Formats: sequence, C-alpha cells, structure tokens
Amino acid sequence: MVRKNAPKTLALATAVTLIAAGCSSNGGGADEGPVTLTFAAVTFTETGRGEALEAWLDGFNTSQDAVRVEPAGIPFATFSQTVLTQIGGGEGPDLIRFDQADFVQAASAGLLEPLEDHIDFGQYDLIEGPDAYAFVDDTRYGVMFDVASYSLIYNTDLVETPPTTFEDFLAMSEELTGDGTYGMAFRQTKEQEPGMMQDLYNYVYGFGGAFSDGTELTLNSPEVVEGLTAYQTLYDAEVIPRGADAATYRRMFAEGLVAMTIDNGGVPGILLGANPDLNIAAAPNPFPVESQGGIIVPITINAGSEHKEAAASFIEWMLEPENQVSLQEVMGAGSVATHTERSAEQLAAAPYLQVFDDLTDSTQPQIIEGFEAQTPELRIIIVDQVLSALHGEKTMQAAMDEAQEMAVARFGG
Amino acid sequence: MRRLHIGTSARIIGVLVILGIAVFPLYWMFVTSLTSNQALFGSSAQMFPDLTRLGTYGEALSGNVLRWLMNSTIIAAGTCLLTAVLALPFAYALSRFRFRWKSIIVIGLFLTQMLPEALLVVPLFALFRILDLLNSLVGLILVCTAFVLPIVVFILKGAIDGIPRELEESARIDGCRPFGILTRIYLPLIAPTIAATAVISFFSGWNEYVFAVTFAFDPAMQPMSVGLASFIGELSTPVQTVMAVAVMYTLPAVAFYLFAQKYVVSGMTAGAVKG
Amino acid sequence: MATVLSSQAQRSATPRSRSQRRKSIQGSRWVPFAFLAPGAVYLLLFQGFPLLEELRMSFTRTSLLNPSVSEWVGLDNYVAIFTSPAFQQTLRTTLVYVIVCVVGAISVGLGSALMLNSAFRGRGLARALIAVPWAAPSVAVAVIATWMMNAQYGIVNRWLDTVGLGVPGGSILDNQTYALPAVLATTIWQLFPFCSVVLLAALQAVPQEVREAAMMDGAGRMWTFRVVTWPVIKPTVALLALLMTIWSIRRFELIWIMTKGGPIGATRTLVIDLYSSAFEVKELGTAAAIGMVGVVISLGVVIASQLLTRRAERKDL
Repeated sequence: MVRKNAPKTLALATAVTLIAAGCSSNGGGADEGPVTLTFAAVTFTETGRGEALEAWLDGFNTSQDAVRVEPAGIPFATFSQTVLTQIGGGEGPDLIRFDQADFVQAASAGLLEPLEDHIDFGQYDLIEGPDAYAFVDDTRYGVMFDVASYSLIYNTDLVETPPTTFEDFLAMSEELTGDGTYGMAFRQTKEQEPGMMQDLYNYVYGFGGAFSDGTELTLNSPEVVEGLTAYQTLYDAEVIPRGADAATYRRMFAEGLVAMTIDNGGVPGILLGANPDLNIAAAPNPFPVESQGGIIVPITINAGSEHKEAAASFIEWMLEPENQVSLQEVMGAGSVATHTERSAEQLAAAPYLQVFDDLTDSTQPQIIEGFEAQTPELRIIIVDQVLSALHGEKTMQAAMDEAQEMAVARFGG
Repeated sequence: MRRLHIGTSARIIGVLVILGIAVFPLYWMFVTSLTSNQALFGSSAQMFPDLTRLGTYGEALSGNVLRWLMNSTIIAAGTCLLTAVLALPFAYALSRFRFRWKSIIVIGLFLTQMLPEALLVVPLFALFRILDLLNSLVGLILVCTAFVLPIVVFILKGAIDGIPRELEESARIDGCRPFGILTRIYLPLIAPTIAATAVISFFSGWNEYVFAVTFAFDPAMQPMSVGLASFIGELSTPVQTVMAVAVMYTLPAVAFYLFAQKYVVSGMTAGAVKG
Repeated sequence: MATVLSSQAQRSATPRSRSQRRKSIQGSRWVPFAFLAPGAVYLLLFQGFPLLEELRMSFTRTSLLNPSVSEWVGLDNYVAIFTSPAFQQTLRTTLVYVIVCVVGAISVGLGSALMLNSAFRGRGLARALIAVPWAAPSVAVAVIATWMMNAQYGIVNRWLDTVGLGVPGGSILDNQTYALPAVLATTIWQLFPFCSVVLLAALQAVPQEVREAAMMDGAGRMWTFRVVTWPVIKPTVALLALLMTIWSIRRFELIWIMTKGGPIGATRTLVIDLYSSAFEVKELGTAAAIGMVGVVISLGVVIASQLLTRRAERKDL
C-alpha cells in the first residue's frame, strides 16, 4: 500500500494520527446503557477465589440496570505501583481494594474519596476493631472489604497435633523435611518483596516486637531481631523449599509436599481450589506471643472517578447483609465489613474457619505505626537487610542495625 | 593436513557449544512447560519434554492469553506500519536534501535514541491522559513508534545514501517530482531494508513492556509482555502454565525472525557495518 | 546512529560540489520540510515535549501521587543524588554492568562469528539459530532466566551443585555476590547474537587469500587475526561498542524482572534507580534528575566515540 502513491501515504499518516488523537477507546461516560465502573483487586487474579469473586460481582450487575462493575485483576507484585501511578495521574479504576499501607499513602495524598459524603454508615453493623483502620486523619476513606488473620495452616495427613512452641515447630519441621517434602514454607526472595514482608510481620509480632513504637522506628529492637532470627533459623535449617515462590509452594502444599505454612485466611480456599481433597486444619502460630499480622483491606473510591455516586451504590450493595455473607464465603477464613454469622454447616465442613475467626482480636495490621505512608519504602530497606542476613553476609542483628540506621537517616524517626 | 583436521573438529565442537548456549534457555522453557509437578520438584531435573502434557497449552490458552497475543500483534503491526509511514519521507529528506538545521535534527534523533523508556513514562502518562489515549492499543502503538522511529530513520537513510544519485537525477529530468522519486525510484530499491526495519519495529512493538504496564490498566488492553510478567511471583499459576505462555510469547517472535532473517541481517548490517 | 556515523564517512569519501547537488534536486526550499514534518512533529510531541518536561521536573519536588503539583527546588535533587553513597554505588554498578556487557557481548559475538565464518554443512541453520536469543522478547527471557536460577529447582543451581560450585543460600538472584554476574550473563546471552551477526557480515570483507597465504607461511592464528582480520573489522567493532554501550545503559526489563535492582542495590543500574525512585519511592523529581544524569552520560559516550573515530580516521589518512 505504501508503494503505490505517496500523497495517499501521507494522508494515511495524518489519518492515523488524527484517529489516534481523536478517538477515545476509553469508554468512560457513555450516555446510553449502564454506567460502567472498574473494580481493581488482586483477588481477581487468584485461581479459585478470583472466579468466585467475579460470580459474586455478577450478583450486583444482574441486580440492577444502571451500573455495571467490571473486574480488573492486577497482580499483587505490581498492584501498588500500577494503581498509584494511575490514580495519581487522575485516572485508574473507580473502585479499589487497597492494602493497608497503600491505602494510607493514597488517602494522605488526597487520592481517595471521603465516603461519608456518599454513604450513611450509621445504618450498618460494622465490626469496630478493623473498621478503625478505614480512617486516615479522622476521615473515612474506605470500608473493610475483607480482614484475614495469619495463622498456622497444616496438612492433617502429615501433622497430627500442631506445634505450640517455636522449638516444637522447628523440630517438627525438620522431622517432616526430606525426600522432596518440606516441613514448612514461607517467602524469602526479593522477587516477592511485598509478600515476604507480610510473612516477616508474623515473626516480629509473634515474638512481641513491632517495627516502631508509634513515634520512633525500632527496627533493631531485641524483640524484632529475635523474631527475625527465628525466621532465619527456619531458613537455615533448610526445612523450607528455598527459592520457591508463594505460587509454587502453595501448589506444593496442595499436593502434600509441604506440611505447614503460616498464611492468611484466604489461603485455605486457594489450597482447596487446587486440590479439593486436601485435609487442612489451622492453629494459632507457634510463637511466644499470640499476636499476628493480618490483611486489613478496605474498598475505596478513586477521588478522580467520574462516577462516584455509582461507585458508592456498589459499596452500599456490598454492605447489605446477604451480600456480606456471600462475600465472606468467597473470601474464606476472615471477616468482612459487618458482623456476620457463619452457618453451622459451613463451620462443620471447614473447622479451620473458627480458628481464624478467633484470632481477629489479636491481629495487627501490616503497617508500621506512625510511619504508615512510609511503609512501602521501609519495606524495601527491611527486606533487603533481612535477605543479606539470610545469605550469610551479616548477622541478623547487624542487618537490622543497618536497616535502622538507613531508615532513621531517611525518615528521621 | 592433519593440523587442519584438528582445527576443523575443534571448530565444529565450538559451534555446537555456542549454539547450545544460544538455544538452551528456550528449549528449557519448552521442557518446563511439559514437565509434571513430581518431576519439576524432584531431586533431579527432567531433561526432555513429556509430550503427553501438551494439554497445558490448551489450559493456558483458556485464560486471557489469546487476547494478550492479539493485543501484542495489533501493537506490533501498528507500530510497524506507522513507523514506516513516518520514517520513509524523513529518511529521504535527510539523505537527499540540504537544508538549514539539518545537523540539529540529526542530533535530536541521536538524543531520542538514547532516552531510556522509563524516563518518559510519567510525562507521557500526563500527555496521554489529556489526549485520552490511556488504556488503548492506539496509545501503545504511538509510544512504541516514537521510540523505534529514530533508528529506523537512520537505517533507511543509510540505505538511500547508498543509492547512486544519478538515478534520481535522470528521473528528475524525466519530470518526476520528489514524491514520485521517493515512491517510484527509491521504494523498490530499498525494499529489503524497509523489510528489515519493519521487522525491527515489529519487535519493538511485540516486546514493549514499560509503557504497557503503566498505561494499559484495563486487562482487555494488555499485551503479552504485561500478561506474562503478571504471572511472576505471587499468582497461584503453575510454573508449567507460565512457561507455556512464555513459549507462546517467544515462538511467534522467533518464527518471524527466522522467516524474515534474510532481510533482518541485511538491514542490521546496513545499519551497523557500512562505511 | 551507526548509519549516521558511517554515512558521514561516506560523504567525505565522495565529495560532490554543492552547486551540482542543489541544481539536481532542490525544487523549492520547502520541499525537505514537507517530507520531514510528519516525523518531526511526531517526535517533538512524543519525545521532545516529555523530555523537556522531565528536565523541568528534575528541578522540582514532585510526588507520583500528585504529579500536577510540583515545588521548585532548584538544584536540590542533583545535590541530593550526588552526595548520596547509594547513588555512587549505582554509578559504579552501571559502569561495571556496561563495561562487562560491551566486552562480553562483543567478544562472545566475535568468537562465534569467527567460528561460523567458514564453510561447513548446516552453516545456514547455525547462523539462523545463533540469532534466536536476540529475537526472544526480554520479558520472556527474564522469566526463563529467573526460573533457571531458582534456588531449589533451577537447572543452573542443580548444575552448580553437581560441580561443587553451589551458591550459599541457593538463591543466585538474591545473593549479593552472584546477582550481578547472573544478570550480566543473561544480558550478554541476549546481546551477543547481534554482534555475532553483524561481525559475520563484516568478516566477509576480510581477504581470504591474504589470510590463507599468511597461514601457509606458517604465521600463527593469533598473528594472522591481528594483522589481517582485525584491521578490517575494527570500525565495526567500534560501532558495536557504541551501540552496546547505549543499549546496556538503557536496559530495563531484564534487570527489573529478575532482581528489581536488588539485593541491596547489587544490580541497581541507573535506569533501575530511575524507575525505582519514580514508582517505588514515588519521588518524580529525584527520578528525573537521575534520568538527566543518564542522558548526559550517554551523550558523553557518543561525543567521545565521535572524537575517537575522527582521530582514528585522521591517523589512517
């Protein structure tokens, strides 16, 4: 086509450019038909829960004709970067299921819509504990989508009685490891930095530590170092499949190749999705202090959305009692925004649900108190240093001393 | 004579080793996609594909992969076309005309060739937002074209430089105007180089990642690079599926390269070797 | 860019009088601009404007979370990066990465080109296959490389363990000592075929008779290479060095997907630092300043290579 006629070629070039500049392929606010919103969540990318959540979403789409919510699955590893870039640039999904640290960062930067302007929350029976985390500077920017504690998940075919102390846990893991099977699994690679950090919180909280005291960073406090040393002890004992990412070791767990793991309440559902015949039970973490990290995830509205009212109507639908119950079933072992009753059959079929539900009160969010908006950056520092200790380049104490020094130099805390 | 013999067999071994190194990772990608979990996580590696597991590819295709492949193809083909349309007259003017600011234009082209894509993501995001080009394949075509255009212009200019000027002069005497000269005289002569640059711009569109991962947040608009990268790390996607998708992403590029090899090599050498 | 360099040489080789040229083509003085306009406007819009915008941003404090608001801070960002030890490490890492990439890709490319530059059965197939890594998309390469270097199941680790070179801790890409060599090996694997193909073409210009005659006279292989082959391919090697330098300075996806610049900055090159500052730390001003440093370095490399080429040409004359 290029060969025949030069003016035509130039005309084509102009046309392409004009089409490019003039055409919007971004549907946005079409006048006819329902308003289409996008809802970004990591969950949509998970096998098992992803499909179930889409089905739940269809419940909303078929319940009325005015608003249609499309799922947008963005993988966990790039979620924060992708979504924050977009909403920072005034674009992006209308509804967002945000991790706690990103939520605080986005809300502080004014990127999220204050929800009290659109929804009367007085009418709902919200669970107070986690709901407190939906506020930033006393303004409500979200409402809990799901809250999931971390606890010890084990394969009952391999583990009869779960360990209660760290010593037992280590001994048992060593015993179960061998011949391609591992006692335990957790994340321990830079590639999975955000996930590895989630794992680290459990060891820190479980040994009575915290990364800050609320006003000052305490990355190298004795409790933090003790907890992280316990994490390293498991790594050094080679009772975990080193280098396996969460996708891989969860699959291995589903096939009986990993006996125990400490993971959140959503994970049993993922494991059972991969192997419905798996026999799973849960128990509190085998650490000195009963305190663990939890995924505390609000749903929010993008302040740049053109359809805030429509988005709010979706949240109202979500908060209706029957939809809360079905959402809780989709999300697995954990709570949702409001108080719900699990059915007796459900509890009988999956006794581990009760274990997770009981842990709700001792669960802490995976953010660094007083440094909420800096948590993503602190995470880079902490994970880097823990990895250098794992690889034998320095002791855990030295690593965390350095982390503390770097973090204080940067944030003054 | 004997010495020559040893030299030859050493050379053959050398060639085999280097070919092995070149091809092995892609072979391994294929083998991994067709290995059972037991073998994958076993104590020793399975070196050959288990062809009974070809169903993995069917499973992989049932997800978004077909859509990603299609998006990548559209982006690559669009980049190819738009680049050719913009680059040809540009290269012709640079090669055959003298005019003011020419050296500035050449320096500008130099400069754009050196810019890392990552540097321009944020300002282009802002620009595309104004032009309403986010979340669209057209937007990704435009941005890929912008990054591949300079090198294509240089390569085409090199090819036009190599054509004797007398041809054009005689055409002018016959009354041909510049447009006609470009399309009737140069186009056929530099067709192989155009083919080579087409392959290069196709690859640039096919490989694009940085912009797609930030600009295409609608899953329906994502290309293969972003889709594949999304499998890394957290998803509960089995390694075999990831590798099957990687194979499906790599194979068309390699096949296209092998198919167009003759042109690519001549274009690459025209671009880099002459003079 | 290579062509520009070469065509300049070509032009000087075949001088042509100005008046003759003008008479031959120039119809109207606007004609060239009509041809240039679409491409030039396009590049100004999609490269020139964003570049200026980055330049401006490098003098501001701007957050990714609110890029439309920026505070003018003068040279603060530049002062901050140049006084930061982390950025000095970034520059060192970039230097090592670029030098090893250039030397590695060209020497492996030259070695394989020399091997392929002889008549043997299946040579066409060999020449086609060797370019396969160049055709493979970076993201796919990063995915397979990461898997091959997986701590427990990666084939590379299994091999290293067999020969007793196992990496402590198992994970190559998370090890501060091994991560950079691993990323470098992958980059060279991807880049050397290009050098190989280009050099193979350049080698066609080496006079075979002279080479054979030299060998007959009992000259050593090395000597023959140095005296007969090297002078012919030297300009090509110089061009490849320039191309490889710029390509390795720009290289992003591979490193980002394999290591994200980690562990602890071991593979944090300038472009990774730029991307991480913009999207992880969310400081667009710092990121822009880092990018500008990169642009200046690349420009420096190009100018230096131009000067070197000119000097070499003068010497040859």
